[in-house]
Amino acid sequence: METVSFFRKLGLLLGLAAVQVLFLNRISLFGYVTPLLYIWMILRFDSSMSRTGILLWSFFMGLAVDIFSATPGLNAASATLLGMIQPGLVKLFVTHDRHDVLLPGVQSMGVRQFAGYLILATLIHHSVYFLLRSIPLGDWSVLVAKVVFSALLTFVFMLVFGISSSKNAAARRS
Amino acid sequence: MRSLLDFIVKHSYVFLFILLETLSLVLLFGFNDRQKEAFLTSAGGLSGSIYELRSEVGQYFGLKKENEQLVEENAILRQRLFSLADSAAIRFEDSLSTGQVVVARVIDNSVRRDDNYITIDKGQSDGLEKGMGVYNSSGVVGVVLLSGRHYSIVLPLLNAKTSVSCKVMGSDNFGFVEWNGGDPYKVQLNDMPYHSDVRVGDTIVTTGYSSVFPEGIMVGIVSDVEQMKSGYSLRIAVDLAVDMGNLGWVYVHSKTPDPEIGELKSQIR
Repeated sequence: METVSFFRKLGLLLGLAAVQVLFLNRISLFGYVTPLLYIWMILRFDSSMSRTGILLWSFFMGLAVDIFSATPGLNAASATLLGMIQPGLVKLFVTHDRHDVLLPGVQSMGVRQFAGYLILATLIHHSVYFLLRSIPLGDWSVLVAKVVFSALLTFVFMLVFGISSSKNAAARRS
Repeated sequence: MRSLLDFIVKHSYVFLFILLETLSLVLLFGFNDRQKEAFLTSAGGLSGSIYELRSEVGQYFGLKKENEQLVEENAILRQRLFSLADSAAIRFEDSLSTGQVVVARVIDNSVRRDDNYITIDKGQSDGLEKGMGVYNSSGVVGVVLLSGRHYSIVLPLLNAKTSVSCKVMGSDNFGFVEWNGGDPYKVQLNDMPYHSDVRVGDTIVTTGYSSVFPEGIMVGIVSDVEQMKSGYSLRIAVDLAVDMGNLGWVYVHSKTPDPEIGELKSQIR
């Protein structure tokens, strides 16, 4: 059981890194809006995972993207931070506490809570990412625009990705 | 003591977090520019082949446009060849013997960072060296910064460190094309003399003073001319001829500078 979930996670990590590096990094609307879809993996970690596990997976997710975008440490730093706060963010948006394993998603959290969770997490991650990337700091307004519009684009991509993957899961179940 | 140990074990993830963040930040800031360039050129190994794979995937999307550009360029070259055949055949031969053109493929590129780099799939083994000019059918792309055995890093016009000597076509006043960041379609032509007659719509081309580029390679079109209030120079905005975000094949101008010029320059110093 453990090994199956390990390889599934590894596959997701490599797949998301490939999509990020091969396609999404090439998107740069208006010169600076780039979606960072790979955080989807971190946002979907369920509550049965240890915090150590979440941190390690997050770090390597970021590092995998870094290696192939020639940005050593940039994605690793922002992804690790997201991994650190992920369990807390989930708790923030879950209204009723149930004792079973919680997988963040529309079914477990409800549409509005899940969307709120995604938006907040994406904004935090993107703020750190673009802040680190634009050191030494130049124009604040450009930085804010980068964060907000990229987060918006990431959110849209996650919705599409989330809907298509949940449909796949439903198809597999039936 | 026991409770302290318990505390540490229970919160071990906090230490892991601090460790991983430190590691990331060391990776991010611990390298100076020189080392980052080395990281980029380790392109010789793993990331080089990944870049290549990535560009192969990406290339399919641009094939049609690429083809059109090649056909257009073919037509222009053919035209030039015909006009040369009867008028200046000797000059043509002469210019061929002093310069050599290497065709390379762009395998990694960026336009949205503050300091952009391009990786191409030719290196020292193909005769590439630092300082050679890179251009494509539309115009100037950049200058070779570092050459590995099979790959090279190019400093594109969209990098604050790049400076290419250029002039207005039809005149001999020259300045330097530089980039201040931001818009990947615009560069500035600096150090143009105050009195030079530059107008919106003029074409900016390379001077050929250094051996980096041949003379007359297109850089862009003047979009705005502004007189500096204090200084004795003009601030000229130039729309780039090359779409930096969409590079496929490029030419590297591998002309070796005449040793006599280098000798003379070293005498001055």
